[in-house]
Amino acid sequence: MPKLSVRNLTKRFPVSGGPSMTALDGVDLDVEEGEFIAFVGPSGCGKTTLLRIIQGLETATSGEIRIDGKPVTGPGHDRGFVFQQYGLLPWLTAAQNIGFALEAKGIPAARHGETTERVLATVGLKGFGDRFPHQLSGGMQQRVGIARALAIEPEIMLLDEPFGALDALTREILQNEMLGLTERMGKTILFVTHSVDEAVCLADRVVVMSPRPGRIREIVPIDIPRPRASLGEALRDTPEYVAKRHQLWTQLMDLV
Amino acid sequence: MQRSAQASADSKSAGEPAAASDPNRQRRRERLLQIGTLVLLLAVWEFAARDANKLLVAVPSDIAIATWELLLNGELLSATLDSMSTFVLGFVIASVIGIVVGFAMGTNRTVEVILDPYINALYAMPLVALIPILMLWVGIGFLAKITIIILFAVFPVIINTVTGVKNVDRHYLDIGKAFMASRFMVYRRIIAPYALPYVASGLRIALGRGIIAMIVAEFLTSISGLGGLIINYTNAFETAKAFAPVLVVALLANALTVLVQKVEERFGRWRRR
Repeated sequence: MPKLSVRNLTKRFPVSGGPSMTALDGVDLDVEEGEFIAFVGPSGCGKTTLLRIIQGLETATSGEIRIDGKPVTGPGHDRGFVFQQYGLLPWLTAAQNIGFALEAKGIPAARHGETTERVLATVGLKGFGDRFPHQLSGGMQQRVGIARALAIEPEIMLLDEPFGALDALTREILQNEMLGLTERMGKTILFVTHSVDEAVCLADRVVVMSPRPGRIREIVPIDIPRPRASLGEALRDTPEYVAKRHQLWTQLMDLV
Repeated sequence: MQRSAQASADSKSAGEPAAASDPNRQRRRERLLQIGTLVLLLAVWEFAARDANKLLVAVPSDIAIATWELLLNGELLSATLDSMSTFVLGFVIASVIGIVVGFAMGTNRTVEVILDPYINALYAMPLVALIPILMLWVGIGFLAKITIIILFAVFPVIINTVTGVKNVDRHYLDIGKAFMASRFMVYRRIIAPYALPYVASGLRIALGRGIIAMIVAEFLTSISGLGGLIINYTNAFETAKAFAPVLVVALLANALTVLVQKVEERFGRWRRR
């Protein structure tokens, strides 16, 4: 049984004074436990909408989502979400932002400190707990967002273009850290990105989506052996990496 | 405390290019300019009004002496305490009602639809018109003063709270939703902090209107407190003494505004400076 299964998922948005807009049209997808799936596609292909529906932030017009065979009807502590931007509450410190998720999960406040320190250390932010978001760089803020999702110990992590607003260098550093992190933890991960490099670098399979209406065009397996984190920069020079990157680029270019 | 005053003065002068070279000197010059203007104004007033009718016009030196006398005999202090105790109580009640009603309206569409027309109409109308009728209902004592202060102060708090609550960024609400925060947590950790600056500016408006209400109530109803002093000494043509409570009211209004700003800053530490 797949960890996550999406069946015939359709999402239509009402448009005032016109026919409704179909953001997702009959999406089917199975994700195995511990798999890293990246979603790429031109803007308007519904990749973010799909992620938000799986998280329960939006409801599907029709279709079904199951986790471990059980239908999903709304948000749950079994899923941890990382937002692209404005993902932290600016009036709470890094530790309090993580505490927010812990409190929401019903974990007693007495145990927040220990968990918070552990997840901050995991993302390399040991000692930054008392900083407010505006005192942290964009990359550090995203690490806090990842730490918060990790804190509730979800079975599936969903990341919506988490590095999309970062500069190229920070982005690559975080990609490498993400690679190390996910290979250590072996969590099931859904990762939306508009970067082909990011997708090839991180994912086991890349889901290519096409716009208007949003559909899955192709699922490309990335057979670069793991652990990839130890390769560092050399990963991007391997023949597999270059070949997959080229293949995905060509497919995306056809869609635009 | 001192450091934050320093910081705000820095940010004020940072906007002026001339200050870039030596902000301290620039600041001293500006302060000197302001004090000099004040001294000049008082001097002009003193000399221009020297030969005027003492019953109608008081000069600064007379006002200073009158203020000192009223301070010594305790009249000013007891009037201030009388006014302030009523004002503070009325302002606190208005703030609590305003925030609670504002929250209810901002989070519940039905409540908003029902209350909104009355709130807006009452905020816009000159509430002074209601005072004679209010006196019929609640008399001319303490209760009348409190009611008038609440009536004047409550609406800007409600309106600003509603605006703040309704404006909450969808991104922040998504965080609450994604992590399954309870309704109470969403109110406490997302909506309330987001709405706070709006509420604070509502409180500042309410403060000004509340002080006006206090004075008006003391003029028209109980003839007590600072407003009562002003009325009584003006009626007795002791103009210099009438100015003393006016000074106190002016100082109090400014001090309270600064206090509200300080409270706001304390809760807004997370914002970028």
